[in-house]
Amino acid sequence: MIYLDNAATTKPNERAMARAQNFITERYFNPSAKYREGYALQSELKSARSSLLSAVADPTAFECVFTSCGTESNNQAIFSLARRGNAITTAGEHSAVSACFAELKQRGVECRVAPLQRDGRVDVEKLLSLVDEKTSFVSVMHVNNEMGAINDINGIAKRIKAKNPRVIFHSDGVQAYGKIPFKLAKEVDLYSVSAHKLGGLKGVGALIKRKSLVLPAYIYGGGQERGLRSGTENVFGIMSFAYAAEEKFATLKQDYERIKGYREAFWSALNPQHFDRISSQEGSPYILTLSAKGLRGEIVLHMAEDKGLLIGTGSACSSNAKTRYNKVVLAMGYSEQVADGAIRISFSTDTTAEEVEAAAAILSDVVNELRTRMNIKES
Amino acid sequence: MKRAIIIRYAELFLKKKNRGYFETIFENNIKKALEGLTFELHKNSGRYIIDGFDEYDVEEMVERLKKVFGLHTLSVAYITTTDLDGMLEAALLVCPDSGTFKVESHRGDKRYPMTSVEISRVLGGKILSVRHDLKVDVHNPDRTVCVDVREGGTALVFGEYIEGANGMPVGTAGKGLLLISGGIDSPVAGHMIAKRGMRVETLHFHSYPYTNDQAKDKVIDLAKILSQYTGVSKLHTVSVTHIQEEIHEKCKPELMITLLRRFMFRIAERHALRIGAQCLITGESLGQVASQTIEGMTSSNSVVEKLPILRPLVGFDKNEIIDRAVKIGTYETSILPYEDCCTVFLPEFPAIRPKLKDILAEEAKLDVEGLIKEAFASLEKIEF
Repeated sequence: MIYLDNAATTKPNERAMARAQNFITERYFNPSAKYREGYALQSELKSARSSLLSAVADPTAFECVFTSCGTESNNQAIFSLARRGNAITTAGEHSAVSACFAELKQRGVECRVAPLQRDGRVDVEKLLSLVDEKTSFVSVMHVNNEMGAINDINGIAKRIKAKNPRVIFHSDGVQAYGKIPFKLAKEVDLYSVSAHKLGGLKGVGALIKRKSLVLPAYIYGGGQERGLRSGTENVFGIMSFAYAAEEKFATLKQDYERIKGYREAFWSALNPQHFDRISSQEGSPYILTLSAKGLRGEIVLHMAEDKGLLIGTGSACSSNAKTRYNKVVLAMGYSEQVADGAIRISFSTDTTAEEVEAAAAILSDVVNELRTRMNIKES
Repeated sequence: MKRAIIIRYAELFLKKKNRGYFETIFENNIKKALEGLTFELHKNSGRYIIDGFDEYDVEEMVERLKKVFGLHTLSVAYITTTDLDGMLEAALLVCPDSGTFKVESHRGDKRYPMTSVEISRVLGGKILSVRHDLKVDVHNPDRTVCVDVREGGTALVFGEYIEGANGMPVGTAGKGLLLISGGIDSPVAGHMIAKRGMRVETLHFHSYPYTNDQAKDKVIDLAKILSQYTGVSKLHTVSVTHIQEEIHEKCKPELMITLLRRFMFRIAERHALRIGAQCLITGESLGQVASQTIEGMTSSNSVVEKLPILRPLVGFDKNEIIDRAVKIGTYETSILPYEDCCTVFLPEFPAIRPKLKDILAEEAKLDVEGLIKEAFASLEKIEF
């Protein structure tokens, strides 16, 4: 089986899991316990926190709050701080942000949505035109999970703050963290990340925040995470996250180039008459989104699955949505037919050149077969 | 204080000579509905008493029993001693919080020293002496406190009749095969026929890979909900993928649905005969969609040779069907947005009044027997 749905989740990194194993079998104590064995875990968590943070931010200016997932990080950021005036986001957000904005609207906050460009990035000028003196909060995702477009969040945050310095700027960095060479500028206030997109476990995430930003508590209880997010720490999850991330950041730039090569090799192996390419060259190399012309993405997905290739049709979290079309692809200005045919191939650092070649061959076969079965004429 | 559940049955009493047969099936259905729970079932002068259960299971038992066809009403009663103090203690537990009440007594143990009328009067008085806030109203009380003095020194005291599913016990009226899609209608149709005592098996057509496992899971979920009423814990599935592809390639697109349905009915009848079902059941409602016109039904009927097709919803409006789906608990699952097999190759303009002549001409382009045989090779039985 070839797994190319790494934007949905990645296979847990076995080395990281093995390294963290003793936090389950031997050092299973509660980090809040008073005895030495418990307390010693605090320093382990501290080092994990510091390594996860310093990989993308200046640790003297930023800090890191562990959460249960990227979605929780987004919820904490949005519901804690977007409480007055108007709040702005983009049409390309993952539902972990867009659904929060829908709820904000219910709670009486005026919500504004900036459109996307054809390449999937937010239209920065239009975004800026939405910012006014009443804007309290802006959320712009870093790398789009549907097609990999990269927003220049540092640049956007700077321009927004130049227009209204009181705006709080948040970014969903789940698909960027550990994949895109990048450091947070001081204008970014909050940044959400997740463990299971880079070899960590599901159920672990973090919210990186600017130190001087006052963030209210989100989950009340025993006062863990300096009172911002109570609940006994998931020590194994956090430690394995840190170990997995450590590996990713060590070879991030080389991997970026290697995966970029894979993405282009994959695309070159396909018949361009049968596919529209939705992901741009400038986007994250880890995501290649295509549309199979005249076919429905999900049917391609199932046929590929039967031949041993696992791919996605866009965000797994939105496959429960009532509308079947890929809303982000629609927001980029494509037709419903193109959105209907959307499939997402997403790589990880574990992906090999052989897998890429074999996967492209399977996808070509599947699409050829389906076009014959559905009687689609060659144009 | 321990409790018991009293079950009263519905139309069974009508069936004089067959009563024993009906009762045996009804008892078995009750036992099946309560499978996994601890309980004892006793037959007791024209009704059933369930006791010996764990107190915390009562609510779940009532919910499960409410889905057993043939059950008219049920009551949860306190089991107490037949002395007045014991009956009073139980009666106070079932009295209304405020307002009016009356006591109604039944004396199964004819040797009991008081008559029913005396029990009601004395117990009513005792209740009033404790609950000064209540009043007696023998004509239109807020609640009737029912006392049932049984033989063996125990009495049952209860204050509520809970409506059951009524109908006839499933299994007393033969077996049918329901064509179940993922929609709202077919589960409702199955429920209605099961209510009349028919054992309803289910058959689902899918078009993998054009439909996905979620769509199939949805149908399994619907069949599971239906099984709470029918007691049939399995679903048969058949793939019609290749049939759809063949029709798509060779026939006029506006006849896609009509032709596909003819295949489905042929397959359904053959499968029904194999499993000993005596009819087909569908959720069709006249004029609801293009294929459910009288012409569409005629076209489907003409391929079914031996069995009747029951269409219990034929004269229902969509809203009426939805109301029933909500009531039986299938609606929420039915409206989940997964494609069922009909929509994948859906033509833009399906034929509303297909003519048999055209249908036969198009069908002649296909290897009907070969495709049916191939479809049967994909038959799966899913048990849950």
